Amino acid sequence: MNDTSAVAFDLAVRAHGLTKRYGDVLAVDHLDLELPAGQFFGLLGPNGSGKTTTIHMLSTLVRPSAGSVQVAGRDVIRDPVAVRASIGLVFQESALDRTLSVQQNLRFAGLLYDLAPAVIEERTRELLELFSLNDKRDRPVGSLSGGMRRALDIVRGVLHRPRILFLDEPTIGLDLPNRRRIWRFIERLRASSGMTVLLTTHYLEEADSCDQVAFINSGKIVRRGAPRALVEALGKHIVEIEATGLAALASELELRLGSALVEGDVAMFRYADEDTSALAALQVELAGRASALRIRRPNLNDVFLWVNSLR
Amino acid sequence: MILRPIYGVIEREVVKTFRQRTRLVSAMVRPLIWLFVIGGGFGAVLGRASGADYQQFLAPGVVGMTILFGAMLAALTMVYDKESGVMRMLIIAPFAHYWIVVAKTIAAALAGLIQGVLLLVILAALGFLPSSTNYPLLVLGMVVTAFTCAAIGALVSAFTRTLDNFAAIMNFVIFPVFFLSGALYPIAKLPVALKAAALLNPFTYSVDLLKHAMLANPAWGSASELHASVDVLVSVAFTLLAVLVASWRFSREQAHEPFIHTLLGKRGG
Repeated sequence: MNDTSAVAFDLAVRAHGLTKRYGDVLAVDHLDLELPAGQFFGLLGPNGSGKTTTIHMLSTLVRPSAGSVQVAGRDVIRDPVAVRASIGLVFQESALDRTLSVQQNLRFAGLLYDLAPAVIEERTRELLELFSLNDKRDRPVGSLSGGMRRALDIVRGVLHRPRILFLDEPTIGLDLPNRRRIWRFIERLRASSGMTVLLTTHYLEEADSCDQVAFINSGKIVRRGAPRALVEALGKHIVEIEATGLAALASELELRLGSALVEGDVAMFRYADEDTSALAALQVELAGRASALRIRRPNLNDVFLWVNSLR
Repeated sequence: MILRPIYGVIEREVVKTFRQRTRLVSAMVRPLIWLFVIGGGFGAVLGRASGADYQQFLAPGVVGMTILFGAMLAALTMVYDKESGVMRMLIIAPFAHYWIVVAKTIAAALAGLIQGVLLLVILAALGFLPSSTNYPLLVLGMVVTAFTCAAIGALVSAFTRTLDNFAAIMNFVIFPVFFLSGALYPIAKLPVALKAAALLNPFTYSVDLLKHAMLANPAWGSASELHASVDVLVSVAFTLLAVLVASWRFSREQAHEPFIHTLLGKRGG
């Protein structure tokens, strides 16, 4: 069972009934997932939803309690070594030796993946160039900024040219310019290699560029689809009404606008019509009772909120 | 398939050994202090003639000590690696997890051996390597000692979650292993309980082998107390067993799972 040669596959991930139990807690609950090769897939959900446990099971680091999983055409329980040879992993906590230099880290990582030194050297040069880290080659990793360390972690993750890249909250803790930078690099990588990317995040702006997303909650996938389609299914607009003492007002408005999603002082409603002129009258009506009425386009954030409100 | 990763682990350990220069220097100073201060002090108590002899007697123990500290501390970095990002690099790599312990043990043995050789050069310069030294046996002895000590370190690492209680490891493992061997005194004259402990200590056999090599002059007679072949046999057997247990324990524990547990709180993540 030591054959780690690549097999052809059209499903990067095929999971059926994937389950993880910790004592009497069900972290992942009979999850099904089929991810076509080459896709950019986002797994979204709040903390504690089971998304990190799912990714750990897919990457052979946690043993499933039940279910079958094949990643890159290999069985995760029977052939974990073969799976690990085809996948790249970048987690929230970096997998780097801070006392060694950038180049030494990549050499070490490359050797662990059984890459020849000449190959490591060539790919190191190529990737450091792509991620603008060339001038940091001999710097100790501990001296790099958080953003550069994360970029280096991704370089480490793709050094062995994996067929599938797992990114667990890759931009968490980074400021906006760094997050944008990381995303540009990943896009460039995908464009040149056709690598499948599975991402977990709770930054929904990042999820917008995925081909497909799945919302996970309490260990189950509760909604999946293309981001655009999921957003369009919500309606043409979101109406936000802000008021103190919202409860009474909200239930009154529900009769006219449909079910409300209340967040603090704001009640949100889905509006199916493109034409919002009818809302002008509502605005006048609510003049004394509401402090604001806003009309805006729906986004993935709203999908997330509405999905989670069903629990 | 597994050779390059093992080589990678070894290379990293060697790079770190030579890079941490102050650590390397203090690793040389420690045994020399023992040799001249403790050796000199007790030597004086034992009287003029046996004094010089006591320092010579101490030389193999001091070489052993250097290898013990070098290999054990290198092996213990496995625990530190669990807390830093390095263990993560190792468990996501495409080879079975039990090889990690094997690779680390070899790397730690090499680190200990390098330090032992450096000390030996210093001892030779100071005249502690008499012409009667059995060099082939010395090489064998140092290699065996290095692997035995690395194996002890691997065993401790496999059962240790954090290095916060490193002082406990020093006091309950490293020092007893050193003191309850034949490094400082012949074990034959020890009280029964301590003698039994010394005979259960794998390091005793390593030091004895070093004595065979360095105190080969027949005038020493019974300085080395066990048969050289017994020394080699026990050391090798212990090393293999320790690495086996450590590997099994390590891949069972799945180093990361408890870590995930504490991160996730109630419902997983």
